Amino acid sequence: MPHELETRVLLEHAEDPALRTMAGYKGYGGYATLEKAYREMEQDEVLKDLEDSGLRGRGGAGFSMGKKASFLPRGKMDKYLCCNADESEPGAFKDRELMQRNPHQLIEGIAIAALAADAGHAFIFIRGEYDLQADILDQAVAEAYEAGYLGENILGCHRDLELVVHRGAGAYICGEETALLDALEGKRGNPRLKPPFPAVQGLYGGPTLINNVETLSNVARILAHGVDWFKSFGTDQSPGTKVVSISGGVRRPGNYEVELGIPTRDLIYGLAGGPLPGCEIKAFYPGGSSSPVLTAEEGMDLPYSFEAMAEAGSMLGSGSIIVADDRVSIPHMALRTARFYHHESCGKCAPCREGTNWTVKMLERVVRGEATPMDLDIIDSVQDNITGHCLCVLGDSMAMPVSSMVRKFRDEFEQVIDEAADPYAAVQGSILTVGTAG
Amino acid sequence: MSGKEVTIVVDGREIAATEGEMLHDAAREGDVEIPVFCYEPKLGAPVGACRMCLVEIEGIPKLQTSCSTPVRDGMVVHTRTDQVKHAQSAVVEFLLVNHPLDCPVCDKGGECPLQDITQGWGPGQSRVIDEKRHFEKPIELSPLVAIDRERCILCYRCVRFSQEIAEDEQLQVLERGDRSFIGTFDERPYVAPFHGNITDICPVGALTNYTYRFRARPWDIEQAGSVCTLCPSQCNVSFTVRDEQVKRVITRDNHEVDDGWLCDRGRYGFEMFGAEQRVAGPRLRGGASDWETAIAKAAAGLSAAGGKVAAIVGDASNEEGYLVQRLLRGALGSPHIDSRPSRGARREEIVRLAQPSLSAKVREIDDAEVILVLGTDPLHSSPILDLRIRKAIRRNGARLALATERPTALDGGAEAIARYAPGEAAHFLSELAAAVGGSENVAAPLAESLRDAGKVVVIWGERIARDGATPALLDLAAALSIESTDGSGLLEIPDTTNARGLREAGCLPDAGPGLSEPNLAFGSQEDQKAQLDGKSTEEIRAALESGEIESLLLFGVDPIRDFPDTPAWDAALTACKHLVVFSMFENATTAKADVVFPLETHAEKDGTVTHPDGRLQRVRPSASRPGDIRPNFQVLSELSAALGHNTGINSQPTAFAALRQEVPFYADVTDASIGGKGIRWQDTPSASSLPSPAPSAGAPSERFAEEEQSSPAAPAVPPSFDEVPSEEGAPALGASFALGTYRDLWAGPITELNPPLKFLQPTQRVEMSPADAERLGLKQGEKVLVGQNGTSIEAEVQIKERVSEGVVFLAEGTSEGNANGLLNGGPVRVEITKLSETHA
Amino acid sequence: MSQNGDAKLPVDRAVTEGRVPGRREEQVPELHEVDCPPELRERIETLMSRYPDHRSASIPALWAVQERYGWCSPEGIRQAGAVMQCTPAYLESVATFYDLLHTEPVGTHRIEVCTNISCWMRGGDELLDAFKAATEGEDDFFVTGFECLGGCDIAPMAAIAQRYYGPLEAAEAGVAIAQLKAGEDVLPAKALEQRPLAGDVPAPEANATEGES
Ligand SMILES: Cc1cc2nc3c(=O)[nH]c(=O)nc-3n(C[C@H](O)[C@H](O)[C@H](O)COP(=O)(O)O)c2cc1C
Ligand code: SF4
Ligand code: FES
Repeated sequence: MPHELETRVLLEHAEDPALRTMAGYKGYGGYATLEKAYREMEQDEVLKDLEDSGLRGRGGAGFSMGKKASFLPRGKMDKYLCCNADESEPGAFKDRELMQRNPHQLIEGIAIAALAADAGHAFIFIRGEYDLQADILDQAVAEAYEAGYLGENILGCHRDLELVVHRGAGAYICGEETALLDALEGKRGNPRLKPPFPAVQGLYGGPTLINNVETLSNVARILAHGVDWFKSFGTDQSPGTKVVSISGGVRRPGNYEVELGIPTRDLIYGLAGGPLPGCEIKAFYPGGSSSPVLTAEEGMDLPYSFEAMAEAGSMLGSGSIIVADDRVSIPHMALRTARFYHHESCGKCAPCREGTNWTVKMLERVVRGEATPMDLDIIDSVQDNITGHCLCVLGDSMAMPVSSMVRKFRDEFEQVIDEAADPYAAVQGSILTVGTAG
Repeated sequence: MSGKEVTIVVDGREIAATEGEMLHDAAREGDVEIPVFCYEPKLGAPVGACRMCLVEIEGIPKLQTSCSTPVRDGMVVHTRTDQVKHAQSAVVEFLLVNHPLDCPVCDKGGECPLQDITQGWGPGQSRVIDEKRHFEKPIELSPLVAIDRERCILCYRCVRFSQEIAEDEQLQVLERGDRSFIGTFDERPYVAPFHGNITDICPVGALTNYTYRFRARPWDIEQAGSVCTLCPSQCNVSFTVRDEQVKRVITRDNHEVDDGWLCDRGRYGFEMFGAEQRVAGPRLRGGASDWETAIAKAAAGLSAAGGKVAAIVGDASNEEGYLVQRLLRGALGSPHIDSRPSRGARREEIVRLAQPSLSAKVREIDDAEVILVLGTDPLHSSPILDLRIRKAIRRNGARLALATERPTALDGGAEAIARYAPGEAAHFLSELAAAVGGSENVAAPLAESLRDAGKVVVIWGERIARDGATPALLDLAAALSIESTDGSGLLEIPDTTNARGLREAGCLPDAGPGLSEPNLAFGSQEDQKAQLDGKSTEEIRAALESGEIESLLLFGVDPIRDFPDTPAWDAALTACKHLVVFSMFENATTAKADVVFPLETHAEKDGTVTHPDGRLQRVRPSASRPGDIRPNFQVLSELSAALGHNTGINSQPTAFAALRQEVPFYADVTDASIGGKGIRWQDTPSASSLPSPAPSAGAPSERFAEEEQSSPAAPAVPPSFDEVPSEEGAPALGASFALGTYRDLWAGPITELNPPLKFLQPTQRVEMSPADAERLGLKQGEKVLVGQNGTSIEAEVQIKERVSEGVVFLAEGTSEGNANGLLNGGPVRVEITKLSETHA
Repeated sequence: MSQNGDAKLPVDRAVTEGRVPGRREEQVPELHEVDCPPELRERIETLMSRYPDHRSASIPALWAVQERYGWCSPEGIRQAGAVMQCTPAYLESVATFYDLLHTEPVGTHRIEVCTNISCWMRGGDELLDAFKAATEGEDDFFVTGFECLGGCDIAPMAAIAQRYYGPLEAAEAGVAIAQLKAGEDVLPAKALEQRPLAGDVPAPEANATEGES
């Protein structure tokens, strides 16, 4: 029985294992909306509903889905729809849950969104690690073809849609929409220059709509129950529900679906059960590892919404909360964070490639105690040098949380340095380095 | 690019720009330098990777990469604000985080963009004390290029070249993030005909030429602009000269000719200039001689033949060609001069093909809607055009149609491909001309992609003229209404490097300077008739054997290696009573010579050459002549003086003046107008004095029909078409194959006398289809004998999926098993036997 | 310039002596040059047919190669290149970009242990050590630390043969390895697949592990 703080819309009936089968899904009224849309609705009607609903992208950027779909040029040409299921940001695991428990809800959403985008080819780009979920999707897609919801001349309405589940092979950057396109074209997953934006020139050079799994999972219900129903959830700038992934130092980590705008405290204490026994919450990432951390005091009583988090100098991002309790060493957490982005940087642009690598080396010296407070200033200024200078925002995604930690917990960093065995180690290291670098 | 003129404001100054051009380029034209690393317009679309070129554009909050931002009218840009400076110094600092800063021992030092930009835009001091990444350095990326991965700043220029210009896709980025490095599959060498270009575009010292490493510092050298004459492409080069010796060859961008690229032949070929085999002074049979004796000896021998003398010119400048034909016609009164390996088109056809309305310029390949390649593989015969064609397809969506005997390097990008049997060019072309006109025949599929194509550029190989295909080619041109469509045209890929120039200078059996009807220009006593039927190369050979011709002058040709029918040429030169050879290197031909004169290389000589598209360019002396070598024009005029014919030519200018005087359509081409980039004579007023073709009576082919049989260009009577191998299958001929031959890019002195290129020296391979190999039970790499009544050569089996059944291919000019040994002027069929069997 | 009769030329052999490549360069191989197992070839051709542009099949094709050979071996890559008509270099460049494609031989049983933020807070490093210890010197096991696998709710977790398990005690590493060897189901109780929605489970007793520092 779900907690009263939860509002299960996307996760409705998710406890029922049968939901992932065609029969189970239809049992709960599934695909009725697709039939209605394909039989009775025009592209513009679908677009209008999506735009009016105010549905914002759930992949991180929070951009209006309907608006993005409306950017695609009209007319006869090959257009594409890509579902972004790369979910690789530390702390995020909501798309995994949605695909594993309710794959047909996503497929139905994709089919309807394809109508809005006038796309004939759709792809689900799922991270290679999600093997179970990809198998489940393959199964569901096969069923949907079987039932005539995909393929040629769907429901005899003279519309075709090919849907391919494309497995990635382990690279966070492929979640960035243009890198995803390159990966889907069989290349290394390097982000592209924007403009041109995918909506104008995307996959194979054709107009392409890219949306997150959760975004697309919302589509069928919006058309089924109407715009007003959808807006009855959440705030007016952030309508609808949100599946929030909560992990780290809490008693009941997991995915909880709530209305956007509920107090953050309700999420962390009410639903996730609060800190582990004997611990206190020190800080948390409100929107995945790329969001600037908030101290408990700063963040605990903010409403959980795109706008409130932005105001607080952080972001809702993919809606993943990582809780750090008082046992966690912030400098080490900063290092873990930086290491991730260093490992995942595609290497195409210099500030991200070199900035992430340099930051990691400096933070390693910090935790080894081979640093001086001056290095903290350099770390901070390097984050500043990265921000806004990269080809995509992966670089910023490290710079923002790292500098937030250095600034908000500077004393902790200095303390770690003070515990250094040999304050001159760094300098000696440097002399050695200069000697060997040539 | 729309071409519309707009105005932008950069750092407060108004700059005129063209709408759509990249902000960086527009700014540069306005003398505002924005630093770049990854941006190189030659490589096509910008990638925005290095972030060095960030600038502030009013109205856009984030800094933008000027390399990838097209200008809009009224755009207001700032390149020196604090925000921009901050970004620039940040990027430089990042690029140096992993850079070894080993400038003192780096070849790039002094000519390194990274050094310059660091000094101009960098932070000035380093905050990096952490360990830098390490790689084994330098390692051999190829036998010609060393890679130092520690210096690499990952700008991706080199891999983009491999991916998008040469399209060999061998050079790649491996691994990810700051672990990324430039490499190849399985650490194989990067061996591809254009790979040297990556050393030109690398903005740091990561890619360096083994031929140049540690040989000079920028302040020791001079750059001397010239033209590469190692193939008909005549790419513009700049010689890096130290102590009057060439140490390096780099590009000298000329969009009209080479697009700023060079092939490895032109880049590394200079290493053969110093080979031991170089003829470093005059010599007689006995050995080295002084100039006076050698010239007297040569003159005596030539005049002794009493008019029974001939000359063949090959690798020569316009002036040299002019002087040779003048020597022959004027001083020796003989009409027997040619500049083609066997036979070719007749004057009438050449004049027709030379009409400006029919000829295409290189640049027109870029905007062609269809490119038709006939009987040649540009990669081997004019490499730089291979890149040009790829560019047209990749960037401008040009469609490619191919009709060749042998699979080409361009097959992959072709929309339609036809393969005709060796020697069947004439036959196929007339079918094609008819098919374009609508008739259903064997060439119809290819014609499909040509019908109402708009701009068509036809790139044809001189070889098809050997097969007497020129009339058919003219028919095709008519069918494609090339004359009346601007942007359309024909572009020849000749067999020799300055073929067009030599023909126009008069090195033809049936045409004098300026493609004129030959006449008694120099008061010789021969009668008109004699002047008119000069002998073609092939006929000269026959005449030597029959004794009809007794004395021969060869200028820059090696018939024994390069001309069809080696045995016959061997016999002919043996029969020759007096042989005078101008040659750059000692070879089988010079071995038979009575007098050998040295030739200057294109780094040493002074003169003009004419590009196949009519562009006259200047070859300038850049390095000193080694040994006892004298300027070629000087030797020729001294020789002709010794023969009693004083040319009054004693310098390049006087030679060029004489040439311009006798080639009327060169009259308005001056040293000044040639300048650094050359000029097409078609674009000068004097172009109008090109002889006009005979009033056309019906289709060209009809015009020439009656002459066909008699003419030297007449092909051996072609077999009926159904015998031509095609996709449907092989003719039922058992183990007998039609033999096709081709000139391999790397066959000859270029690899044999050139240590750095030696590894490319081709061994003889017989290419055949998998089906044929299977039928004969042959494996890849197996040794076989390829024979034709009696004579046979050894070759390695090379199975190629795209070779049509019933045909095999061999390379010409190889040091071992030269295919010319099997050719006899007509179509040749060969037997293939396993080497093992013959031993049994 | 020297005008004396000396015909010998000054040539700087020191730097112009030729080099000979140890091996041949690799262009697009023709099918007869690689012996590609028919089933692999068919598999790749089917994959190619699923996309508007056959190059899109490069990652799936590399997955297929890895399934066939246990890793993306040079030979396997050449075979894929011959089928897809692209250079092995291109495919290797793609393969080396992605963490799950191995261009070096690896053990058949692959275990990825998450060491990213959430798992690290709950003992991911210790779990990784435990798996390393449990597979000490066993070639057919491949254990590696991995960035966030998207299983933070079951931290500390690991992917064993591409399936997720957690939260895991360090002690369970040995059990899992034993089960893999015996070919039994691995830690059935800890399989993500069996796990109910977080909102539907009672709060477990906290098992706090020390963060590093
Ligand atoms: C480095 C990086 C990683 C990203 N990863 C993901 C991801 O894993 N899943 C996702 O849906 N969006 C991800 N995004 C956001 C996408 O670029 C894109 O904005 C999103 O898929 C659009 O879908 P939406 O509008 O439905 O949110 C990422 C962006 C960046 C810069
Ligand atoms: S080797 Fe040179 S050209 Fe290639 S990426 Fe590195 S710096 Fe750029
Ligand atoms: S030059 Fe513009 S990003 Fe590199």
